[in-house]
Amino acid sequence: MYMTMTNTVPQSVELDIRDQTIAIQRRGKLYDGSMQFVRSLGIEVSHQGPGLIEQCPTSGACILYLRDDDIPEYVARGAASMGIVGENVLAEKQAAVTIVRKLGFGQCRLVLAVPKDSPLMSLADLNGERIATSYPRVVNAFLKARGINAAIITIQGSVEVAPELNLADAICDIIQTGTTLQAHNLIELETVLESEAVLITQ
Amino acid sequence: MEQNTTQQKTIQPRTIQPRILKGTRDFLPADMARRDYVMNTIRRVFERFGYDTIETPVIEYAETLLGKYGEEGTKLLYQFKDNGGRDIALRYDQTVPTARFVAMYANQLPMPFKRYQISRVWRADKPAKGRYREFYQCDVDIIGTDAILSEVEIAAVINDVFTELGFTHYRIRCNSRRLINSILNSIGVPKDTQPKVLQLLDKLDKIGPDSLRIELNAIIDVVQVDALMKVMTMTGSTTEKLSALQEYDVSELKQFFALCNDYTIPESVLEFDVSLARGLDYYTGIIYEVMIPELTLGSVCGGGRYENLCSMFTTRQFSGVGVAFGFDRILMAMEELNLLNMVGLNAQVLVTNYDQTTLSDSITAVRALQSAGINTELYMQPVKFAKQFTYANQKQIPFVIVLGPDEIARQEVTIKNMETGKQKTIPRSQLVSYFNGMITS
Repeated sequence: MYMTMTNTVPQSVELDIRDQTIAIQRRGKLYDGSMQFVRSLGIEVSHQGPGLIEQCPTSGACILYLRDDDIPEYVARGAASMGIVGENVLAEKQAAVTIVRKLGFGQCRLVLAVPKDSPLMSLADLNGERIATSYPRVVNAFLKARGINAAIITIQGSVEVAPELNLADAICDIIQTGTTLQAHNLIELETVLESEAVLITQ
Repeated sequence: MEQNTTQQKTIQPRTIQPRILKGTRDFLPADMARRDYVMNTIRRVFERFGYDTIETPVIEYAETLLGKYGEEGTKLLYQFKDNGGRDIALRYDQTVPTARFVAMYANQLPMPFKRYQISRVWRADKPAKGRYREFYQCDVDIIGTDAILSEVEIAAVINDVFTELGFTHYRIRCNSRRLINSILNSIGVPKDTQPKVLQLLDKLDKIGPDSLRIELNAIIDVVQVDALMKVMTMTGSTTEKLSALQEYDVSELKQFFALCNDYTIPESVLEFDVSLARGLDYYTGIIYEVMIPELTLGSVCGGGRYENLCSMFTTRQFSGVGVAFGFDRILMAMEELNLLNMVGLNAQVLVTNYDQTTLSDSITAVRALQSAGINTELYMQPVKFAKQFTYANQKQIPFVIVLGPDEIARQEVTIKNMETGKQKTIPRSQLVSYFNGMITS
């Protein structure tokens, strides 16, 4: 299932792209990889101008440029027949979609992190603590499965500042390189989820 | 008068020994929390299918109930004269009052009438382990239609109730009285022997095929016993059994199982058992019985299709289908399978009462949490915190909010987790969001 992105059409791709409506991220970390993947399918995308819907004349495919949070819902409701989204988003949205395959790009991890000088040293220490995250469902399920009851504080972005502002004692956020954690004096405690881009369908 | 008063002064004040009647029960808060949890879960499933509930009086005219439960039942009926000399009786089950109710209000009720009822009934039975004189019945019925869809819906209700209660292994055994009758007729069992045969068939699970054969031999001839046992001990999938029984009346069952499949009731749960008979003579169509294979406590739910529910109260015909859930047995099963461990008492948070100076802040905290839907109580007296913590432990309250002068001065609250003993201090402004984050997790 796992494959690396190349500019040539990978052999395992046998998708009938005609009349497919494929939802991809409009801008952000998965954008380049998604465009590259779509092109590898033989769809001639240009994404010029502010339009959110691009009809590709020769292939007959249609590309939707959306917020990545919304992609699972578009696919689940059948507004898009396929979508490219990170597993992290998919896990949080819990939409009724199936993963066709992993796409080998957009790798990142959802991690629990605490301030460097924090007395919290282990997962068990998180019991009763405040955890800021944009992934409340994933964190909830993860902690619940480990018998930990913590106060989850849902924040949409810049989760990493929450400990400095005494809004939270720990965070759970996406990291790629770890530089953001370092910049905010945070250290990783535990990986909650390994993620990459996946192709989804209803 | 005067003499009386002096006498009262000299004797000990009279107290009555606190006790309850044989066969009745008191339920402590922890028991009630579990009972309510189970009851509410069952009720929620009924309501999800659009059932409404009704209530009938605890006391009825004796004539309403007399003669409806057979000779044995009449003996067990609680009967007495009320203060006005009327002959009255206590509710013995929910079925007869419902029949009376439907006959009385048929014109006002939507038909089919889908009703559920969870209430207390009384029987002057000899109390024994698991047998009480006062207990709950929990019934769900569809009255006034003979559509097979109602049988299917009842099967779906049963399935959803046991799933939602957390059972992973349960078997809904199903059969059709029409099928059994057609088998008995074609084998040539005389009509008047059939009820006796039905009663014996119900014992198959308990006594096994060999003993059943011996008992059957006593009432029907050997050829008939052979033919009957061949059918009754049949194995295979539902489809296999149905096609093997093609020569009998299986049309109803075929439809039933096909629609149950559309309702996504798993075949591993819904078991076609040709030997299920449910001895009672009023069933006429599909019948059900639910077992928990891990436990030996008999059936936890049972019922079926009955014609002419209200015949004793009206000439109008009402066909119905329904089941009764054995509330106490289900509760016992759940206790045994540890499905009720997480059910606690109601209060989630206790706010301490330090002294007069902090009281108003404590009340503010209580009100904020209550407004957010968090069950919160305030300790009544400004006593030592240790005593307040003891109270929290007694009531199994998971969190105590400590609000003393120090916390108030710093605009903070300390939250003590009573299970771990861990204390956590957070800004007061985050109190509600802290618990909201907890409760969702």
